[in-house]
Amino acid sequence: MLDLTKGQFLKHVIFHPFEGFEDLRWKKGGSGRIAFGIVCLLFFQQLAWDRLYGFQYYVAYDKLFNIVPYLFKSFVLFFTFVVANWAMCTLFDGEGSLKNIYINTAYALVPYITGYLIGTFLSHFLVQDEYIFIEACEIIGTAWTVVLFISGIKAVHQFTIWKTLWLLLLTLVAMVAILFLLVLLLTLFQQVLIFVLSLYTEITYRFRV
Amino acid sequence: MSGLKKLLSIAAAAALGVSMAAVNVSALEAYEPYSYDRWGDAVPSQAGYTAEYIVDGNTIGCGAFSEPSDIYFSHDHKFYIADSKNNRIVVTDVDFNLVGIIDELEYDGKKEKLKAPAGVYVDQYTKAVYICDTENERVIKCDENGKIDRFFEKPSSELFSEELTFNPKKVITDKAGNVYVVVQSVTKGAVMYDSKGEFLGYYGANRVEATSKVLWNAFWNTISTEEQRARSVKSTPTGFTSFDIDDEGFIYTVTASREVKTDAVKKLNPKGANILETLGATETTYGDNPPAYYSLYSKESQLTDIDIGPNGEINILDFVHGRVFQYDKLANLMFIMGGQGEQLGTFRSAQALETYDNKIYVIDALKNNITVFRRTAFGEIVTKATNLYNEGFYEESYEPWKDVLKYDGNYRRAYIGIGNALFQREDYKNAMKYYKVAISRKRYNKAYEGYRNLFLKKYFSAIVVFIVVIIVFVIVYKRLKATGRLGKKRRRRL
Repeated sequence: MLDLTKGQFLKHVIFHPFEGFEDLRWKKGGSGRIAFGIVCLLFFQQLAWDRLYGFQYYVAYDKLFNIVPYLFKSFVLFFTFVVANWAMCTLFDGEGSLKNIYINTAYALVPYITGYLIGTFLSHFLVQDEYIFIEACEIIGTAWTVVLFISGIKAVHQFTIWKTLWLLLLTLVAMVAILFLLVLLLTLFQQVLIFVLSLYTEITYRFRV
Repeated sequence: MSGLKKLLSIAAAAALGVSMAAVNVSALEAYEPYSYDRWGDAVPSQAGYTAEYIVDGNTIGCGAFSEPSDIYFSHDHKFYIADSKNNRIVVTDVDFNLVGIIDELEYDGKKEKLKAPAGVYVDQYTKAVYICDTENERVIKCDENGKIDRFFEKPSSELFSEELTFNPKKVITDKAGNVYVVVQSVTKGAVMYDSKGEFLGYYGANRVEATSKVLWNAFWNTISTEEQRARSVKSTPTGFTSFDIDDEGFIYTVTASREVKTDAVKKLNPKGANILETLGATETTYGDNPPAYYSLYSKESQLTDIDIGPNGEINILDFVHGRVFQYDKLANLMFIMGGQGEQLGTFRSAQALETYDNKIYVIDALKNNITVFRRTAFGEIVTKATNLYNEGFYEESYEPWKDVLKYDGNYRRAYIGIGNALFQREDYKNAMKYYKVAISRKRYNKAYEGYRNLFLKKYFSAIVVFIVVIIVFVIVYKRLKATGRLGKKRRRRL
């Protein structure tokens, strides 16, 4: 049973939200590469949703473009979640390894990305009155992802549903802490850099005299 | 992606057009003419008006002005200038030749003098002159020879608080002979009298802007006691600064407040409701967008005067930046002119403005003179196109708008105007192109809808055939697979 390739496993997981991740776990069918591809797609989806949306729905302020917010909304948030979830769940007897959490989370994102990409695509062919179709795509994709996501985290740690929800809440707290520390670290490094630079400037001035 | 390419090339062409045309006209101005794009960013533009000359008291022949504060152009083609510190009203004709000076008035055989008159108005029906005799705390109705007919004084009504000073600043009358007075210390709207001088009430009060402070107060008021409430600060609206009445009898008001943006400019119907918003001008920011580009400092606009032009243009004077903003009757920005400074066309303390024909007159209280702006060739074309457009002649406005783009490729309204003309011709594809450059989402949406409908109509049979073929193909494929013929063949091959 279930002699699937890695790609077929992805399909299996997405269309079997409740037992799919269990199968994935026992068969070790997850692929880190496919997962990374999905995260890259997430990045592209964020970009497309903001910049390539149909003109009749949304016009981006295209005099300025900054890639950092999109990087943050995809890669940074995703990996922060993975690390935070691993850190929290390990403390609470979760069985998932870092890699498995990463794979399950990424797999769960597929319907969300697809829904939004379809919505973005449709926005070029529909008029404002037909926005309901786009909205439907986006809502269905998101809801599907939420189900997959909870089921994926539940399966990877072998938790009960309530423990999963409770730990997702804790993960959120941990994410905030991690991001806060990251910002702090960046600011500190910036100051160290400025210090070193001004030191260098001072020294060059001494030598010149 | 070809759409993007097209857009870029249009933008590049537009930029080129600007840089070529800008050399000719804008160099005349003491300031850089600019306009606002769809994002509210300032973009270089052509001058719609050019400062032509200045007039002061000596050129008129009545002696130098001293802090003049109001100018009014009557329907019988005379200027009435309220020369405040000289306590007089100077009357001139269109070309600023002295006609008369009103400084000594007569009431029941007694001499009356003006004291710092701040506003003047002439009723177009009765030809009566109304003067805000500010420091004497009254409004005077007289004829042009200075014979006083009636005083409008501080109302002795319980609606008008005793403690308030009565310092009238501007006055207008309507068709029915009602007199409206802007009193500086009153925030409830214009003080309104009937033609006999009876106090009727207030007209057209501003609303209180829902700032966080106001909301916070409202929250506390719901839980505080009666006594606490009496002691707390009341949220009062800002009283408006000036007003004007158009020929249809609508009153326009401006409010000079740096903090409050609600109701900065209003067009009031007889009920006192703002109808500019129902006309669809809800998103217009009047005056400069903060921070004002092309100025060295960033200050909020302070709108001190309003005047309605012959085609219903709304001209607004910004005291802080010394600029005149001209909007069309639907509150779309047309031109910006003026600035702070000493040169011709700039101001130090712009007090009031007036329009006549294709000219705008601005009075400066520190320079003690009047600056005359005349509409440029570019301004004429834009005005023509705008008028046609606003009256619904989209087709006829096509050519003028095209001309506008020859002068100024940044003029957003021209793209919309051309787009509308094309839309009416059912040339949806090109209309979409122009709407896209104008960044007008709603109009683009409509044009796209039309374009799509035409497309579907044209290729309807082809699309139906295509769908039917696909359905048939799928059914046949499934049948073959179910009966096993397809499968067997495949297996044999393998």
